[in-house]
Amino acid sequence: MKIQFFRYRMAGVIAAGLLAFATTPPALAQTLKIGAPLPVTGALSPEGTKLRQGYDLWLGQVNQAGGISVNGKKYKVELVYGDYQSNTPRAVQLTEKLITDDKVNFLFSPFGSGATKAASAVAEKYGIPMLASSASSAEVFNQGYKNLFGLYTDNSTLSEPLATLVHAKAPGLKRVAILARNDLYPLSLANEFEKSVKKRGFSVVYFEKYPIGALDHAAEVSEIQAQKPDWIIVTGYINDLILVRKQLADQKVTAPVLTMINGPAYKEWIAATGPLAENVTTASWFHSVLNYRSTDIFGSTHNFVKLFTAKYGSEPDFTQASGAAVGVLLQEAIQRAQSIDPDRVRAQLQKGGFKTFFGPITFGSTGIANSYIPPVMQIQGGQVKVVYPNSVKSAEFRLGVK
Amino acid sequence: MLFLQVMADGLLLGGLYASIAAGFSLVWGVLNIINLMHGSFIVLGAYLAYFANQRYGINPFLFFPVAGAALFVIGFVIQRLVLNRVIGKTVLITLTLTFGLDLVLSDLMLQAFGADYRKLVLHPSLGLLDLHLVVIPLDRLFATAASLAATCLLWILLRSTRLGRAIVAVRMDAGAASLMGVRAEAVYAVTFGIAAAMAGLSGSLLAAIFPISPLMSGAYLAKSFVICVLGGLGSVPGVIVAGLLLGMIESISSIVVGPNFSTTISFVLLLSLLFFRPNGLFGRRGFE
Amino acid sequence: MKWGTTAAGLVLFFAMLACAISGDNYLIRMATTFAMYSTLALSWNLIGGFTGYPSFATAAFFGLGAYASGVMELHGFSLLSGVVVAGFVAGFFALALGALVLHLRGHYFAIATLVVADVVREFANNAESLTGGGMGLNVPLRHGSPHSQALFYLLAMSLCAIVAIFAAKGVFKSRLGFGLRCIAQNEAAAASIGVNARAYKTAAFALSGVFPALAGAVYASWVTYIDPTDVFDVLLTIKPIVMVLIGGSSIWFGPIVGAFVFIVLEEFVWRHLLNFHTGSLGILIALLIVFLPGGLRSLIHPHNVFQRLRRARP
Repeated sequence: MKIQFFRYRMAGVIAAGLLAFATTPPALAQTLKIGAPLPVTGALSPEGTKLRQGYDLWLGQVNQAGGISVNGKKYKVELVYGDYQSNTPRAVQLTEKLITDDKVNFLFSPFGSGATKAASAVAEKYGIPMLASSASSAEVFNQGYKNLFGLYTDNSTLSEPLATLVHAKAPGLKRVAILARNDLYPLSLANEFEKSVKKRGFSVVYFEKYPIGALDHAAEVSEIQAQKPDWIIVTGYINDLILVRKQLADQKVTAPVLTMINGPAYKEWIAATGPLAENVTTASWFHSVLNYRSTDIFGSTHNFVKLFTAKYGSEPDFTQASGAAVGVLLQEAIQRAQSIDPDRVRAQLQKGGFKTFFGPITFGSTGIANSYIPPVMQIQGGQVKVVYPNSVKSAEFRLGVK
Repeated sequence: MLFLQVMADGLLLGGLYASIAAGFSLVWGVLNIINLMHGSFIVLGAYLAYFANQRYGINPFLFFPVAGAALFVIGFVIQRLVLNRVIGKTVLITLTLTFGLDLVLSDLMLQAFGADYRKLVLHPSLGLLDLHLVVIPLDRLFATAASLAATCLLWILLRSTRLGRAIVAVRMDAGAASLMGVRAEAVYAVTFGIAAAMAGLSGSLLAAIFPISPLMSGAYLAKSFVICVLGGLGSVPGVIVAGLLLGMIESISSIVVGPNFSTTISFVLLLSLLFFRPNGLFGRRGFE
Repeated sequence: MKWGTTAAGLVLFFAMLACAISGDNYLIRMATTFAMYSTLALSWNLIGGFTGYPSFATAAFFGLGAYASGVMELHGFSLLSGVVVAGFVAGFFALALGALVLHLRGHYFAIATLVVADVVREFANNAESLTGGGMGLNVPLRHGSPHSQALFYLLAMSLCAIVAIFAAKGVFKSRLGFGLRCIAQNEAAAASIGVNARAYKTAAFALSGVFPALAGAVYASWVTYIDPTDVFDVLLTIKPIVMVLIGGSSIWFGPIVGAFVFIVLEEFVWRHLLNFHTGSLGILIALLIVFLPGGLRSLIHPHNVFQRLRRARP
């Protein structure tokens, strides 16, 4: 009995030894930590989920390829997530915690303009470069910070192409009505539209803001109707735009052009508005129909879309694409710097000239990207079609919204 | 014509407001509790209607009594288990408690349904009533009509049925009412249930028109406050008149000073009422 | 039990000092938040605990202070002048508001104060040129290393709390405090023994507005970005109330204990409970009110708690 028992024990020890030998990594890879504060819970959780999908796709690709190589060493990428509960002060707290406690090397911004603006102050304080996936308003980038880099081009790049397009295709149109949500990004965007249309000789016959918690827009719609505008522009978020679209139809408001940002680009909006979505125009920084060739880990927009669809079962919208894009940008910058030192990477980011699946990215002096034109899109037959710029368009721009 | 259209918009909205606030007023008037869960009850009713429509194709205009019944049960249970323990306690206690309960309900809905806005789309769309001078969307018209009908039914209930009289008696003087054989506790529970039912059916009607999300509960609650104080506590006709009035005020002020002040205006109105005429239009002195 | 609370106070002081010396930024941040919560709880206690008027206006004063100071700093003034201005602005605002609402009782008073925060928030939202409106306000960054900044804010916020403590003690011992306690018990009777209820209530309300404003001013500089939704958040009103409910409404010890317990719970929930954050706060509130209406003191006499569990009626 005793000998048998001893044999079993020996066998066990040898087995354990072999197992240990087999599973010990040959050489310890270095880890690169990126802080990613997300609104996992709370009002912005849908957006938080989308952003995370983008991050995870990129993360999977990078680590599958062995990580980022810097000076002959391979750095495995680790994303340190945290939930700031869709609450801006918590986003600030979380960002600081990621830096001081988790000791992240770099940061992705929280979602949206307000939280990004708030968290950027922390990044600046500690000198950690932060890539902003979802902020486009000049007001976010006007602090003179050196560590904030925004993927989205400035809001004027949403208004200018549209104004050019409408002016070119329908030169007889004169009257513009603008309705904006009283919130950082939508209001900033509306102000840009006002500038763009005035530049081209349109007259703004109506410009009002609706409060964030607005339940009803009937009065605004009535007023717009009374002004008989040729071009109606509405800014807000998806729920606001669903309601406004419906209320415009309720009061039989029609116009040659109806532009709504940010909503029609999402399939949820199209589903909710049904036939009312027809011929509504919008603009956004990314669409899966684009066709850039890139030097990043995806190689092209087409490949990115393919991989995303394979992983998640549907084509990426611009938020999901942004998540992957900031990862790609950071990776490119680190590879060029051949270092993970924040100062060197920051210098590379400032140099710009990145060819990514999202588009060519170079950052302006305030940190906001200024190197591509966001496509103008129109809903035709329940589908999103790109109508401008000519190089990437998939359909012709149409007039007339019922 | 703009003015007529704006008036029509205001009245349509105001009719909806009436049923939104009716339950809130009832609870405040009878139980002397400000129910901060009211907005969440409305949203819950809206979700029930949304899912009934999505899964089973049931029209919300047919479903709303069901939503009302479901919320009645929920309200009744909450009152019996939790709120009953604080009847008669100070404002601080009751207000903080309903605030806490609302946090729970709201977060549960957020977990269960997500923060995405859902839109109940009616197939086929009900269309419009074009009267040349004004255009009235039929879905709004039906919702407002149903809402006003439900509110009137509530009023009839309170005035004509035994239960209604018991409720009114308890509101006036709980001690005297129990001496007359009315079981105050049962009345409290039923009243809260009825109030929740009103909220639920209103939510169901709202679902036909507005996008739905747990994030909307605060806005509905805020409206209920203003209408309640404007109309006077516990007075159903007061709630109807106040609702219509508020709808009109909001519509007109949107044209005059701009839509971004509409929430501010309701709050300033509320504050002015509190300063100068807290009993509102139809209220009686009594509950402070 | 005076030596008891003094001893506890000293322990607290040394605990804060330990946090500061530890060099751990997380602890420093927690300590700063604790000081802020303490200030809010102490201030609320002046009007809610001492006087028995359930004010729901704390967030209004906090936000007002945050914006007053933020705007000052934006125009180049120091934090100190921002804080001072914040205190005065909120104090005068509270005086004016008090004149309008303090004659209301019970629910109406509560609602009026609750709504005030919303009104002030809407004005902040619309006064774009001054406050940045919905686009928020970036307060200029301080100079110095992040660590020294963290210590600075801990000190600043602690000073707010200490001033609030001394104010509470001062009020309590004075005629004002005596008058307030009379008002809390029975306002009509208090008036009949010569207490100028109106003047005293107004003074208490004004004071209850000053300290949240000071905390708000320091807060704005601490987080460097404020917007109306954040600084006028109704939770900033509710949380101090819950803290006083937890710790009891004694002169200064209760609110501080309440703030401490609350912050421990909040951190514990945030770190470990994955998704149900605000819901957990709600459950805490409900449990507290139903089973522990006397705050933690009820735990000292547990049989009360069991009695409540058994009975369903009040």
